[in-house]
Amino acid sequence: MKAIAAVAGIAAFVLIAHLSGLFPVFRSHVAAEPGWQQFRRAYQLSEFGEDGHFVRAAQNGYNVFYFTYRYAWRFTRKGETDAHNACASCHRAEDLAYAFVNSDRYDARSGKRTSFEERVMRCFAEHMDGFVPTLYDPTVRDLRILARAVAHHMQLGEGALPSAENTWRAAR
Amino acid sequence: MARGTLIAANIGAIILAAAAFYVLAERQHAEREALRHAAVDLTPACRAKLDRYGLAASDVYRSPYLKQPVTARGYGEADVRAIQRGCNIVDDMQGELAATGDRERWNAKRFSRSHTASCDHCHQSLGDKQDAEGNRLVGSNSLAASWVMADMYDRFTGLLLPYELRQMQCYINSSNGFKPNAADDVLRDVTAYTRFLSAAVDLKIGNRYPEQGIDEIPVSATLRRGDDYVRGAHLYRENCARCHGPQGFGTTAGGKTVFPALAGPNSFSLDSRMNFARVNSVIPGFICRNMPPNEEGRLSNQDCRDIGYYISTLPRPAGDKQGPLAAAWQQLMMTVMPPLTGYADALGNSHVQPLDNDAAN
Repeated sequence: MKAIAAVAGIAAFVLIAHLSGLFPVFRSHVAAEPGWQQFRRAYQLSEFGEDGHFVRAAQNGYNVFYFTYRYAWRFTRKGETDAHNACASCHRAEDLAYAFVNSDRYDARSGKRTSFEERVMRCFAEHMDGFVPTLYDPTVRDLRILARAVAHHMQLGEGALPSAENTWRAAR
Repeated sequence: MARGTLIAANIGAIILAAAAFYVLAERQHAEREALRHAAVDLTPACRAKLDRYGLAASDVYRSPYLKQPVTARGYGEADVRAIQRGCNIVDDMQGELAATGDRERWNAKRFSRSHTASCDHCHQSLGDKQDAEGNRLVGSNSLAASWVMADMYDRFTGLLLPYELRQMQCYINSSNGFKPNAADDVLRDVTAYTRFLSAAVDLKIGNRYPEQGIDEIPVSATLRRGDDYVRGAHLYRENCARCHGPQGFGTTAGGKTVFPALAGPNSFSLDSRMNFARVNSVIPGFICRNMPPNEEGRLSNQDCRDIGYYISTLPRPAGDKQGPLAAAWQQLMMTVMPPLTGYADALGNSHVQPLDNDAAN
């Protein structure tokens, strides 16, 4: 009887793992949150990328950035009622773009070269009082893609230095 | 009592094994950390390239390449070393030019079944090919231009392809090897070098530059008379065999790779986009824009397609997607075909003379 229960338990675990858990974490459809259409127009996202894949990922990045507590709930303990519950609570989209083009550099705080993805992970662990996503997680990927889209709109190159009005934000 | 002793012994053995594994891992980590801090011995090509672009540790970076210098964020000592190591990997992935072998290249060749492959073979001039006036060349597989367009939808894989995953594909297909971890230094250093190149030539994120990738040659860009194997074989012997060898096995001299293999065990695999039979517009585009060296543009579109078609028929390793039967068949062909072809060539008074060939051509 115990053996049957053990086998059933293992089978259930494999099935759940195979179906990516009980919750729909990976979505092919991206909900249009408030402000998305304005953001899309402002940053000319529709004209970027050869098809809809990139824009859809950028849209998910937008959702994660502005509604972190809802779209990256797995990696944060912050809820809707918390004061600082989204990436946008501390950063603007432009900050993300500058951080992206200045990533993969030596970071004195961590004592090693740090990628953009690692900075995102650290934000989740510290500022969002949560957990570290993996390097491959769509949350990390789509934030990077959002940063790319904004950097493209701003026509930033590698190592672009923020202008004076952006300095205080990008330096954080 | 005996049973208790046995359990204790087992637990002790497990703890001992775990401790040994831990100590080994710690040693490996310490060695990697020491390598990260060690001064980098640049290859001659890398020294010339990085000197030309003025790489040095500083608060700001201004590229000497640009007529109107742009001030960008500078690089720290650790960043400079990473860029230098990345350049070395691109130039000499196998560690043939390294004093202490491929250890200085993060043992990159453990990810390659090919014993001669290097990034520089496809991404010529260290991924930054230019003419004598310093103009970047169309379809030259530029690494920097590839970086600024990373994360775009890739029609071959159906993915939004990050730069690291693109490098993994190079290892798997072009080097017929294995996938490094996304956070492995071997990928991160090449990314650092690539990003430095894009700063040096001031490319903007998300812009499409003509030097990115390969200027593909579809059938519609030819006379549409079909791809001709016999003509391809003739053109290959006339234009390519002197460097790549009569059977495409590449050329080596003194144990160092001089020209890369196009066929045989050191070649790219059947899964590679360079395989004409898989994507028939990529290798002709590469040939027309990059071959023969210093005579680019001499071959017509039809010539390039014919040569590409001929090369695709030479035996080469099966890719991982092809399955074990295809792998066995390709292995058999790689063993059987060269002597047969060599014999046929001898009968057909082939006039091609390889430079100096250590491979089994």
